[in-house]
Amino acid sequence: MKILLALDDNPRAVEQALLIARGRGAVLNALFVIDATWEMFTGHDWLSGCNARIGFLEYMLSQEEEAAVLALKTYKEQVAGIAGELLTVTGDVVDEIRKEAGKDYDLLVMSNPFTRGLEIMRDPVAKVARKLPCDLLLVRHAAKREESS
Amino acid sequence: MEDKSIFSKLLAIIPGLAVMVGTLYVLRMYVEPWMNEVVVFGSKGWLVKVMSLNYILLSILTGMFYRNVLFAGKIPGWAEDGFRTTRLFIKIGVIMLGSLYTFDKLLKVGGVAIVLIVSFVFGTVIFIMWLGKRLGADRSVTSVMAAACGVCGVSASVATAPGVRAKPVDLAMAIATILGFGIVSMFVSPYIGKALNLSDYQFGAWVGTGILNSGQVLATCLAFNPNFAPGTAVAYGEIWNVVRVISIPFVVFFITAWYWKGEADAEHVSLSTIIASKFPIFVLGFIGMTALSSLHILGAEGSETLHLMRQVMAWVFGIGLVGLGAYIDVREMKAAGGTPLRIGVIAGLVKYVLALIIILAFIPKEGAF
Repeated sequence: MKILLALDDNPRAVEQALLIARGRGAVLNALFVIDATWEMFTGHDWLSGCNARIGFLEYMLSQEEEAAVLALKTYKEQVAGIAGELLTVTGDVVDEIRKEAGKDYDLLVMSNPFTRGLEIMRDPVAKVARKLPCDLLLVRHAAKREESS
Repeated sequence: MEDKSIFSKLLAIIPGLAVMVGTLYVLRMYVEPWMNEVVVFGSKGWLVKVMSLNYILLSILTGMFYRNVLFAGKIPGWAEDGFRTTRLFIKIGVIMLGSLYTFDKLLKVGGVAIVLIVSFVFGTVIFIMWLGKRLGADRSVTSVMAAACGVCGVSASVATAPGVRAKPVDLAMAIATILGFGIVSMFVSPYIGKALNLSDYQFGAWVGTGILNSGQVLATCLAFNPNFAPGTAVAYGEIWNVVRVISIPFVVFFITAWYWKGEADAEHVSLSTIIASKFPIFVLGFIGMTALSSLHILGAEGSETLHLMRQVMAWVFGIGLVGLGAYIDVREMKAAGGTPLRIGVIAGLVKYVLALIIILAFIPKEGAF
């Protein structure tokens, strides 16, 4: 069995993916997508000069990279003993998850709502789920779970 | 090799640009004339005259339709490069707007604009600093919202974010809030302006002071009166806009300095560095165009050159606004929430209403030109 875990800031999704991977002796690949859609998100901002815009996009990229380092460090601390890779890519979060999920996986585990990068403003779960070539396990977001309880 | 790459870059622009130009052509040549004739509520042309659904608002609405319905939330790859020219079109339009003025006209209105803008910009910034504290907001959130609501919406928050270490999530919420507020005010303001029988001068001064996002100031003025000529809403509104734009680096400096004052690991903030990196260069183009107009190089009022230039301006803005609409994702705006939304709604409404009251009380109907 081959599992793909889409990483965001939800520790419960990691817990569930690890639980299944350990129980089934599965290969677990974790994917962290550095969101590169800030340029599109602020595309309506016609007024900023090149310097201001480049400075802003570089700052957002640095924030994304910091989030990647933190997420990967936390993940590595928990994944001991499980076969698999840690993948980091830059791009559109939904597109990259779908692209990776298309590579012979049996199960995709992701948080619901999925809070990676600018996807907090969108509906990534619905977009990822559409015509997905593998099974999908949605794990309720830890913060949302606390809110409702 | 390089030529080929430039050629392929230009080629990549064509599909998206063709959509923008084609859309505007259809709107200006067929849709708006039809709407001018159609009878609604017993009144001919009600949609254009009362609802201000002229080609300007229709351009933005069609762009939004493309993004949110036709493209299902994301501009497709084949159109991306073309739609990216949006900023270029609007900046060219703003530079050309400089031809509506001469320096003596600017001086007549500029004083009022400077007083109103400086009071409202710094008044809003200080109000939000106080409001942020009351709401228990993080200093970086307060800083971004102060810049966004105080000066030029999204552009100001983009300029301020790196300096105040804004968190991506807060910034996303702030931008969605500002954009949402701007879109609503863009559709509501022309209606209010007409209901209150505001003159072009009063309307331009009001939206130039009260609307948070600069792009929406232009669009709102053109929705109120789509003509490009001295004395129209866009001619007055743009003076307010330019004063706002020029104030961006100073406001960013003020807010960044305030932010770091409250942080333990304070960083040195330099006004000259901020001016060098944040000053929007296209304003110089606008001033240059005003200089040409002041020296009568573009011809006298009513000349063929100016007439042609204004026709071109209408097309340039229209194309840009189709693109602007295509960058507006309604779902992203709906996701706005938390402290940025609370601060944005309170400050935005206070500014919008207060600006209207002041305009009604102190700004005469007759403009300076």
